[in-house]
Amino acid sequence: MPGDSLIYKLDPRGKFLITFYFIGIVFLANNVASYGFLLLFVLFAVYLSKINLGFFLKGLRPMFWLILFTVLLQMFFTPSEHPIWNFGVLTLSKEGMVISAYIFVRFVLIIFVSTLLTLTTTPIEISDSIESILKPLKAIKFPVTQIALMLSIALRFVPLLIDETTKIMDAQRARGVDFGEGGLIKRIKSFVPILIPLFVSSFSIAYDLAIAMESRGYRDGEGRSKYRMLKWEMRDTVAAIVMIVITGILLMIRSY
Amino acid sequence: MEIIFKNVTHAYEANNPLASLGLDDVSVKISDKKFTAIIGKTGSGKSTLVHHINALLKPTSGSVIVGDRTITSETNNKNLKPLRKNVGMVFQFPESQLFEDTVEKDIMFGPMNFGMSEEDAKSSAHDMIELVGLDEKYLEQSPFDLSGGQMRRVAIAGVLASNPETIILDEPTAGLDPVGRKEIMGLFKKLQMQGRTIILITHNMDDVADYADDVIVMHDGKIVGEGTPSEVFNDEKLLTGGMLTLPQSARFAQRLSQKRFKFDKLPITLDELSTEIKQQINGD
Amino acid sequence: MNNIISIKDITYTYPDAVSHAIDNLSLDINTNEWLSIVGKNGSGKSTLTKLIDGLIEADSGTIEIDGQTINEDNIWDARKKIGIIFQNPDHQFVGATVEDDVAFGLENQGVPRPQMVEKVDAALEMVDMQDYKTRDPQSLSGGQKQRVAIAGVLATRPQIIIMDESTSMLDPKGRKTVLDLIKRLRHDQNMTIISITHDIEETQLSERIVVLDNGRVVKDGLPESIYNLGSELTNFGLEEPFSSQLTQLLRNDLKLPEGFLNEEELMDSIWKLSSKM
Repeated sequence: MPGDSLIYKLDPRGKFLITFYFIGIVFLANNVASYGFLLLFVLFAVYLSKINLGFFLKGLRPMFWLILFTVLLQMFFTPSEHPIWNFGVLTLSKEGMVISAYIFVRFVLIIFVSTLLTLTTTPIEISDSIESILKPLKAIKFPVTQIALMLSIALRFVPLLIDETTKIMDAQRARGVDFGEGGLIKRIKSFVPILIPLFVSSFSIAYDLAIAMESRGYRDGEGRSKYRMLKWEMRDTVAAIVMIVITGILLMIRSY
Repeated sequence: MEIIFKNVTHAYEANNPLASLGLDDVSVKISDKKFTAIIGKTGSGKSTLVHHINALLKPTSGSVIVGDRTITSETNNKNLKPLRKNVGMVFQFPESQLFEDTVEKDIMFGPMNFGMSEEDAKSSAHDMIELVGLDEKYLEQSPFDLSGGQMRRVAIAGVLASNPETIILDEPTAGLDPVGRKEIMGLFKKLQMQGRTIILITHNMDDVADYADDVIVMHDGKIVGEGTPSEVFNDEKLLTGGMLTLPQSARFAQRLSQKRFKFDKLPITLDELSTEIKQQINGD
Repeated sequence: MNNIISIKDITYTYPDAVSHAIDNLSLDINTNEWLSIVGKNGSGKSTLTKLIDGLIEADSGTIEIDGQTINEDNIWDARKKIGIIFQNPDHQFVGATVEDDVAFGLENQGVPRPQMVEKVDAALEMVDMQDYKTRDPQSLSGGQKQRVAIAGVLATRPQIIIMDESTSMLDPKGRKTVLDLIKRLRHDQNMTIISITHDIEETQLSERIVVLDNGRVVKDGLPESIYNLGSELTNFGLEEPFSSQLTQLLRNDLKLPEGFLNEEELMDSIWKLSSKM
């Protein structure tokens, strides 16, 4: 993760909220000018992040079929007065093509902007942001601190459990288990030798961790101070103002 | 079985954090029916190397010949069972692979996957539980009610039960007390004497000196040294390069040679060391 | 009164277990001593750690920490005086990064942030991991993770450090860095160190060895006196130290001094014999 770009340094709470806000205003765009404007803005943000565009294109890949399906649906099923081509229920028209192009750009915008958030924010920052954003709920006795700690520990254990799974799978393959062979029942059965050991080791990890936490004086989140500190700076305020300006421009150039 | 690595390179996927740990043009022969130790720092490629022997990993390029099987990048994932039956593998902390509700069923799991009949697997389980030094009464218990050391033995029994010709051990004694460690190592030596090929990954240089016939030294995905324990531990280049540490006896001899003592070859076991000292003092 | 820990007649049985894990055990641990607790797998060593830290509660008997008998009300104060380094480096890493993990204990004590920042830095410096401050645990070796765990314990300035087989999962290099670190800390600060181990060589660093078997103290004494037990040690799952194994092999033919010899003493005796040649 290139750690020194402006986008990286923004307060994660701000980034988190701005990302959701942006995904919201993408739906305001409705013509070439407004989509073009948002696309330019996102590309500029990508440029500011100093992250290779390739990473963003990779973000599109898992969504490829969904995008293709949606785009084709719009292209051939948009009803039109002046079809270019007609075959049964399928209609190809200029309007259809324009709308599917818009949809395509909308996907790109949303995926790029969320990729930008995940590439420039560590999971722990995201969990911190959630804690900070949910803080008001403490008033109604909602266990915000505990949930945030739970979230960050869960994040901490994902790679550990992935390692454990790989190891157990290898051990059972060495004992002659064939995954993905035979009928459905047989396939499901072949996962029992993975799942049971995985449960057992997850519990033992959790037990060890609980003991370690207790030995280090963890009670239930009460009376704790916090080491991580999120700091809202001038640049975060600027980023928020930029978003307001973007919204203003968008409202001016979209068609009504 | 003789195992031959021919120019084997293994590259992990680029986005894997362990990317640098693969194998780099490795060619080596592991002799039939010998006890071969593989040593090297954490991350030097020891586990990657042995995972190729039962095709848990396949070479990116080059080939691995195990008995009459050849494994290349093209090798199909089907029909690997005969190979895996012949190459048993005891992983690090193997107790984490236990899952059945009784010890007996768990030991029978491997053999039955490899097509052994239930009766044969059962009788194998009875033989194996004794072989690893546990009482038969444990067969009816749940593996999860056993102590850590006992679970380790059950897991080892589960691998041995398929009667593999080659046995790969990845630090099988980590975390055991010294007496338990000696018993387990003795068991593997015994299995070798009965005609099996043993391949041991270890950090314990005393075990290498005491049990191994051959040693392979790995560093950064390459093989940097090969030979008998005595040859390897007397290899100046490996020692000064910090690629291996010495067994206690060799270290003691090294310090002893600061005054009056001279060793043409560093003794690596207690017996060798004590014999040498007596000879040099009493003269011969 | 020089006992930092005083254990009197404690017994503990795990739920559903038939026999006692700890069986009417009494043990006094002196302030600032380095004590090794050894014994077979399952002899009760780790259970004892958990009892001392109040992580499990004894069925009977009392435990005094720094002059206070621990009970439900003061256990959290007692825990502040004790830091434990556990066996598996991965199962005790709480924070998302090195600095977060070191800060965890301080956060629990409600230390204000400015002091916390100083203490985290100081603790990381003590274990020589300051360059890894923002790294995540996945990128560290086992030995480095244990050093971070030690920093996390040091940050809260405990009087007692318990090493519960903390080096048993490390490779020789990791083990050496951790042991060197403990030696150095022991030299620089006043601390009581309790090290639970299988490694007989590791016990040579300590001043006193207690041998546990079936939840009872069966031997308690200076390292030399324990090593002098010779082959009896194997009954307790232990190996004889290298020097005493060698001494035995040499004794038949060479005239060596009586009793246990450590490596240096043995070497000196051998050199002396050789000079008479």
